[in-house]
Amino acid sequence: MSPEALMSWIIFTPTLFAFGLIFFDKKAEEPMRYWSLCGTAVTFLQTLLLACSFSPEDAGIQHMVKVPWIENWHINYQVGFDGISLPLVLLTSFVSLLSMMASWSIKKQVKGYLVLFLLLETGMLGVFLSLDFFLFYVFWEVMLLPMYFLIGIWGGPRREYAAIKFFLYTLAGSVLMLIAILMFYFGSAPEGQIGSFDLMQLTAMAEKGDVFSPGLQVAAFILLFIGFAIKVPCFPFHTWLPDAHVEAPTPISMILAGVLLKMGGYGIIRIAFPLCPYGAQYAAYVLVAIGVTSIIYGGFAALAQTDFKRLVAYSSVSHMGYVLLGIAVWKISESNGAAVGRDYWLMGMNGAVFQMLAHGISSPAMFFMVGVIYDRVHHRDINQFGGLSGLMPLYSGLAAGIFFAGLGLPGMCGFIGEVFVVLSAWNFSKTLAIVSASGVIITAGYILWCLQRVYLGPEYKGPHLDEIKANPLTTRETFIGATFLAFCIFFGVFPNYVFDMTGKSMEKLVQGLDTGYQNTQRLTGGVQTTQTTQKQN
Amino acid sequence: MEHLGEKLAALLAIAWLLPLLGFTIEVFGGYWGARNCKKAAYIAIGCIAAGFVCSSTALYLWGSETGWVALESASHGGHDEHSSATDDAHTAGDHGGHDHAATVVEHHHKQTVFSGCFYRLAKFGSLNLSLDWYIDSLTLTMFVMVTLIATCIHIFAVGYMHEELTDDYVDHQVHTHDGCHFHRPGRFYRFFSYLSLFCFAMLGLVLAGNIFQVFIFWELVGICSYLLIGFYVERHSASTAANKAFIVNRVGDFGFIIGLMILWTSFGTFSFADQHAADGKVQPGLFSMVRGSDGKLEATDGIVVLKTQQDEHGHWQVPPDSSQRKTIAYTLLIVAGLGVFCGCVGKSAQFPLQTWLPDAMEGPTPVSALVHSATMVAAGVYLAGRFYPMFTPEVLLTIAYIGCITAFVAATIAIVATDIKKVLAYSTISQLGYMMLALGVGGWGAGLFHLITHAFFKSLMFLCSGSVIAGCHHEQEMPKMGGLLRKMPITALTMLIGVVAIAGLAIPGTSIALSGYHSKDAILATALAYTKLNSVHFLLFLIPLLTAGITAFYMFRLWFYTFLGKPRDQHLHEHVHESPLVMTVPLLVLSVFAAGCAIGGEEGVLFRMLTHSQPGHVAQGFNGLAAQTVSLPSHDAIHKVHSTAGSAALLAAFCGMTIAYLVYGLGLVNPEEIKKQARAVHAFLANKWGFDDLYDTLFVKPAHVVAKFAAAFDKLVFDEILHTVVRFAVVISKWDRKFDEGVIDGFVNLVGNSTYSLGIGLRGVQTGRIRQYVTFIAVSVVTLFVLLFAFYPKG
Repeated sequence: MSPEALMSWIIFTPTLFAFGLIFFDKKAEEPMRYWSLCGTAVTFLQTLLLACSFSPEDAGIQHMVKVPWIENWHINYQVGFDGISLPLVLLTSFVSLLSMMASWSIKKQVKGYLVLFLLLETGMLGVFLSLDFFLFYVFWEVMLLPMYFLIGIWGGPRREYAAIKFFLYTLAGSVLMLIAILMFYFGSAPEGQIGSFDLMQLTAMAEKGDVFSPGLQVAAFILLFIGFAIKVPCFPFHTWLPDAHVEAPTPISMILAGVLLKMGGYGIIRIAFPLCPYGAQYAAYVLVAIGVTSIIYGGFAALAQTDFKRLVAYSSVSHMGYVLLGIAVWKISESNGAAVGRDYWLMGMNGAVFQMLAHGISSPAMFFMVGVIYDRVHHRDINQFGGLSGLMPLYSGLAAGIFFAGLGLPGMCGFIGEVFVVLSAWNFSKTLAIVSASGVIITAGYILWCLQRVYLGPEYKGPHLDEIKANPLTTRETFIGATFLAFCIFFGVFPNYVFDMTGKSMEKLVQGLDTGYQNTQRLTGGVQTTQTTQKQN
Repeated sequence: MEHLGEKLAALLAIAWLLPLLGFTIEVFGGYWGARNCKKAAYIAIGCIAAGFVCSSTALYLWGSETGWVALESASHGGHDEHSSATDDAHTAGDHGGHDHAATVVEHHHKQTVFSGCFYRLAKFGSLNLSLDWYIDSLTLTMFVMVTLIATCIHIFAVGYMHEELTDDYVDHQVHTHDGCHFHRPGRFYRFFSYLSLFCFAMLGLVLAGNIFQVFIFWELVGICSYLLIGFYVERHSASTAANKAFIVNRVGDFGFIIGLMILWTSFGTFSFADQHAADGKVQPGLFSMVRGSDGKLEATDGIVVLKTQQDEHGHWQVPPDSSQRKTIAYTLLIVAGLGVFCGCVGKSAQFPLQTWLPDAMEGPTPVSALVHSATMVAAGVYLAGRFYPMFTPEVLLTIAYIGCITAFVAATIAIVATDIKKVLAYSTISQLGYMMLALGVGGWGAGLFHLITHAFFKSLMFLCSGSVIAGCHHEQEMPKMGGLLRKMPITALTMLIGVVAIAGLAIPGTSIALSGYHSKDAILATALAYTKLNSVHFLLFLIPLLTAGITAFYMFRLWFYTFLGKPRDQHLHEHVHESPLVMTVPLLVLSVFAAGCAIGGEEGVLFRMLTHSQPGHVAQGFNGLAAQTVSLPSHDAIHKVHSTAGSAALLAAFCGMTIAYLVYGLGLVNPEEIKKQARAVHAFLANKWGFDDLYDTLFVKPAHVVAKFAAAFDKLVFDEILHTVVRFAVVISKWDRKFDEGVIDGFVNLVGNSTYSLGIGLRGVQTGRIRQYVTFIAVSVVTLFVLLFAFYPKG
């Protein structure tokens, strides 16, 4: 199968399998689960095939498909991938597969759950593969509804609140994005002609610098950034996350942490920055400051939590702060607007993508580990655990390994992303770099303290001790945990496999942004106040 | 010569990776072996012993291939000794001139430093990060030392940990809620798997070829230390100590990262050595960039220009073309050095981050011997030594003072400690302070010399204390011991060797002494020479000298207290027994090394071996030209004051020993009396100078407050804003409904209703009678015409 066709197959295979579920009897739960597992597995294999057709030397979009969809408005069905989206596509299908395995713990209305799950996967893959702004928006929304129902129906006690909160936040972001889409659509049109939704065309226009005025770029960037920052989530748009995570069932938390948060980062890298290089540079210092605040604030908030899942959720806020930090360390020379120390920015960008990948592995794993114990004891109060290492040694060993990955231990994936990003930050701003580096202390604090209260100690302090003893770790659970841990270690030891993939595309992107900013400034004179943001360094 | 480097790298890589292999097998020991199975230990010992064989082979290869050049040339002397070095070169090469330059060239022919790359982690434009190796005599010596001591400790641990070889281990220190002792399956295999993992991390740290890689393994030894301190996971004190160790280390690492950021941004490389690219180009490493080939660090107007270009002799020079120059501000270089040193402060438990090490004694005693005295905590000193060329005189001065304070503070606390392991822990901190001091005052060789000798005698003493603890059924308090000499003679005597070694005793007038004397002597000599050059910093000699006396006092106190006198706990004493061979043989082996590893002192094999790797600029010393900068003594200067310093040190040590003998050996003075007399001082020391309380109030509690604040801020501010917005929206929609129902619907209804009523009203008109309709029409037409004529504009 050609890679071009394969991409569409990848996007719609989960939908086909979801359609197939209609023919199952409502009571045939086990077959339906296996059927859906097949669906995610087939999708995963297809993404692996797609990765085989990837050539790392090619920086641009590979195997692009462009079919007219709504011709009057120049909307196309346009998909393709490069070194930035491919790792995230792989991550999506991988996390979906493992979350589907973790979905055996769902007992209620299995059929509906599985259908929504598969639709969600289509939406996620579509977002990462689409290259048409309108199509991107459609997939973005496609993802939203299944998620709303998955939290709202299969969630915990406060599920309605969490689902609506999630929905409202995301919708607000979508609306802002929609405004930006229209701004670019009409902004890209010469007098009396039809504009474009083609992200590649828009990127090229932004790079030329004479199409989008600085004012438009700044305004559009703010809209897009808020839209994506809600998804990341960055301080101060993050409060939907702890609620959504706490109430969502375990597999959905895994998807949420593993994939949905990455869409924010991906959107910033793929859309917000390339389309408005001027706006991005204009806001760079604020972005870095927001990233650093997220790291520290999320870490402190995690330290104070007593709900196990909430702690992991806040750790996500903290870890995703590194992503924003890495993306935004774009320092320019005041005289000509060229990037200063571009290699460090390149490193930050690569580190950010790596961090997304690393967090996409370690965070779902952490949620899964919380889910395993929650399934047995039905509570998540950290202070009512203890002694699990004696009761469930294998589980505790896996969990400790995975939490160490979250702690940023060298040799595991979290380390590479965090350290690369932090190392790249000094070039941008010394103060913010130092603050971001202090995150290592807080992270160690909350993770180790949590490990101590949950896993160490002589005996278990909470209810349902009998259930822990009656249900040792199943083979399925062991497999999921061990797979996650293995990947945590693999990417920590051999990060070069990821950087080989992202390297060229990222270089092209950074190059394009650099010229885009310089062109915009040269051709339009820029906005007068630009320089003030750069004074800090 | 190149393939010698490859060979060495292969051998050391095997020694490095074998323990990792061992770890991956042993960690699953619960699955493939019974709880009483010792196989895991055998695998661990096999791995580390094989590592020792590989390291020794590498050392031998290195020596024989380089013609043992390290041992021949006494590089510690100044210019006067260069003639002898030249003679050696004469025999080795065929055209050795008698001038200085020729000596250097000859030296270069014998390549003794090797570096290379294992694999690349990432490449961004011109930036390159990889896992490298860097092998010189320091690396090799460290490898041999670590693997040798680790092997001894592994074997010792088989005996020490044998109680874990059971399905039902009773932990007497942990109580369940019903008041019983805690029962659990033994974890013998797990202990050895952690040890193996630690050996892997530690050897990786030593082998690392760039500072980033050092940082990677730095953290890994940290996590191994965490796992080993918290080995008894059920004990709250153990898990808390483990957390404390890791987090305090992270505080140091915070500084380390800042140092790394500066280096990375200013230099664009982390590599120690120059790197040979595939296309034949050579990229300068950190040391070359800062020091060039002549070892001089020059700053003009606070800017250091990096030496990034090679001249035709292969020397690194400042590029003549100023547009190609790379520069770093001198202050930034200082900050970078301090940052990296901050990491060393954490790892080596230096003031002010020393508090974690005594708590770390919660781990099993072999761990204390291996991790928390001989190897991991010495890694900070090792790194400070390895990174020496990057340190400016200002940084060195800081290092010296930190080391000096640490040595003194820890020694004073050791006087009042009663837990046998805690005494040794404080003594470790104190000795690490000595090493740092030595590095800081320009005694590169002396500091690392002490590192090696200390590793041997301190691991020996820890193992002895382990033997005592095992013999006394896990009693660690010295006041309950006493008179153990008869019961456990081997332990007592080997311990005595360690004590004499650390106290630095020697037979006056001769050079017959144990290892500690030589290394401590070297340190004090350097410190004395230093204070002669910089008289402001006279404390850097006096305090260490005083500390040498204190050291002798508390170490002999420990020995007399434990092994001599009358048994203070008769019940305990009756059950004491000497340890089995598996534990005493490692003691004997280590005691041989503790006694003899430094034979010959600064003319001996070990010291020469180490100083062969000494950075080129150290031997000549450094003359601070301006008044405010410090000077470093040259080797000549040190040599001149050697005998003075040696006598002073010896005198201090004898004083300390004598007092200890009078108080604890003969019992002339009752220590309880002294305690009563100086209660405040005792309380202050026993409270460890109050550091723990201070940090608790300064950092730990505020951190929790900030955390609570952050969590509450989310709930009370962000969520509240959201809720207000939502409530507002609900209120608006309610108004909207009212408006809809009242105004809009009202209007629509009004229209509808009036239309309807109009219709109803007009219904009466619709009668169906034609005559009436015609009348209406006629009247209407007439009316219309009248209106038309009345209002239509004329014309």
